[in-house]
Amino acid sequence: MTPVALARAPWPDPYLNVDDYDPEADLMVINLGPQHPSTHGVFRVVLYLDGEIIIKAIPHPGYLHRGVEKLCEKLTYAQITPIVDKNDYVAPMLNEQAVNMAFEKMLGVEVPLRARYMRTILAEIQRVASHLLWLGTFAMDLGGALGGGTSVFMYCFRERESILNLFEDLTGCRFHYNTHTVGGQRHDIPAGWAAKVHQTLEAISQRIPEYETMLEHPIFVRRTKGVGVIDADLALELGLTGPLLRASGVDHDLRRDAPYHIYDQLKDLAVAVESEGDCMARYKVRVKELRESIRIARMLIDNVPEGPISGGRPIKQPGQFKAKGGQVYVGIETPRGELGTYLIAGGGKMGDTPYRLKIRPPSLHALACVPYVFPGHSLSDAVAILGSLDPIMGEVDR
Amino acid sequence: MAVNESDRSFDHPLYETLERFPGLDLATTAVDKVLTWGANNSQWIFPMATSCCGIEFMAAAASLVDLDRMGSITRGSPRQSDLMVVAGTITVKMAPRVKRLWDQMPEPKWCIAMGSCAISGDFYRDIYSVIPGIDVAIPVDVYIPGCPPNPEQLMAGMLRLQEKVNLKRAGLWSPPETRPETGKTIEPAIKRLLQAGRDERITAAQLDQAMSLMLPAVDLPPRPEPEPEPTAEADAGTTEAPAAPATPDGGHHE
Repeated sequence: MTPVALARAPWPDPYLNVDDYDPEADLMVINLGPQHPSTHGVFRVVLYLDGEIIIKAIPHPGYLHRGVEKLCEKLTYAQITPIVDKNDYVAPMLNEQAVNMAFEKMLGVEVPLRARYMRTILAEIQRVASHLLWLGTFAMDLGGALGGGTSVFMYCFRERESILNLFEDLTGCRFHYNTHTVGGQRHDIPAGWAAKVHQTLEAISQRIPEYETMLEHPIFVRRTKGVGVIDADLALELGLTGPLLRASGVDHDLRRDAPYHIYDQLKDLAVAVESEGDCMARYKVRVKELRESIRIARMLIDNVPEGPISGGRPIKQPGQFKAKGGQVYVGIETPRGELGTYLIAGGGKMGDTPYRLKIRPPSLHALACVPYVFPGHSLSDAVAILGSLDPIMGEVDR
Repeated sequence: MAVNESDRSFDHPLYETLERFPGLDLATTAVDKVLTWGANNSQWIFPMATSCCGIEFMAAAASLVDLDRMGSITRGSPRQSDLMVVAGTITVKMAPRVKRLWDQMPEPKWCIAMGSCAISGDFYRDIYSVIPGIDVAIPVDVYIPGCPPNPEQLMAGMLRLQEKVNLKRAGLWSPPETRPETGKTIEPAIKRLLQAGRDERITAAQLDQAMSLMLPAVDLPPRPEPEPEPTAEADAGTTEAPAAPATPDGGHHE
């Protein structure tokens, strides 16, 4: 449904006083969440409706606040990796990489080339799994749990299971892997894993056109095209990153602009950019990224060099790594955008714990656009917009 | 844990009808088997999926493991559900909501605590904002350990729940479910966490606010009242109007 223009420029004021809107209107207050199947976790939005049209939306996060940053101040550097797995539980590999890269930068630990190759491959495969989960749940948001959306959900989870099997072969876990350590990897590539990766990703890349055909349905197009437009100015103002920013027409990708791992050797990395900024553009960007990630992972898996997978000595005691002070910031590109880790070292008596570990989650900034984008849309479009933002409440509330 | 068995209502109006007619009361056994079979194979699930375990719950509901083949459909409303699967960390902010949704589910109802966080809080248990397991708030029938449990483990937990339902409906004793980490049962007592007086810094007003779904107050401008008609009868009515709040319901009952 085309959003109603609320005659406010350049974008609606989130601090709009409801009293100013229309004194004669019968405002209806709807409480979407915290337990709602399509809020992607425990997220609550209070919506003020004039008929079917939202005139004001107040987001209320915080229902999954687990105090992760405070917890990390008690733990040594080697103990933090399994904790941050639980932040973004759809892409745990990239959470591990973010904190471990910050620790390595702080402690001056060199990562061997083989481990860097492995990290790149794991990141790209994890991106495929994350986008597949997003695609399935987004289609279910639009189609309803018992409607047509369940088909895409089932297909996407079938592919995601095959990727989880790859990770299970490598690490022994379906997720929450704990496979990254300070200075390298914990698990080496098992025999025959490369062929399995090729087989799995080939099957997925053959099936992506099937999903696109399913999602060319006129209902899907009408529910996503022109809905939830975030223009580039607003996106930059709110600090959106990742697919949300690229769907708004800003060509920005940390893998290319601030390369880490071995992304600086990938000269032909294609960054998907769309200019519309609506839900359809976000869908297109993510499907393009699916293809690109599959291509990169399949290209790199054949070229993994031989060598050690961990640079440092094997971790035998938790307080092995110590730093007196200093601060670093590391940002990496996760499926949801820039995941930043800001670390101040020098905590604890021995200096073996962080003094402060600040995590900059991309989903928190994505949810910041809720009060700007929701007004003017109908209630059913709010679900579509929220689904297209792909928020993960674990990293929003931390 | 400690489910009060008298609260579990298995009575069906069909039983009363059958027992009223001599001869037909023999059919209650067969009817009971059918009802048990139906209750076991149509456990509609209300997913309290807050975090990581919710993703594994979705994977269990998807094509590989497929909870649907046990007749378990995921429902978004507690009023249509028989089984609540608590999947994920429950925070102090979320626990009153979980309790409220649990109270809205019709009897007989069951609860599965899926994952370490729902069982004991896992490594977040000492954090100020996390409650140490959902069983301090609502009674739990089956614990499924793991971080997160595989979908196959969830399926095994569903099978254990079916055995438990069979025993309960047959009136037999079933072993009490204990916490996997301590081997002990625990009484649900959300008051222990949210009781006024437990912490001097928490006032009763703050507790009321925490326990209720408070919406921000919206003060809409008052609508202009219609002007009274300038007649003698209307003037008499307005003079009597201040006396009305003293006996607000008197006129309606008469």
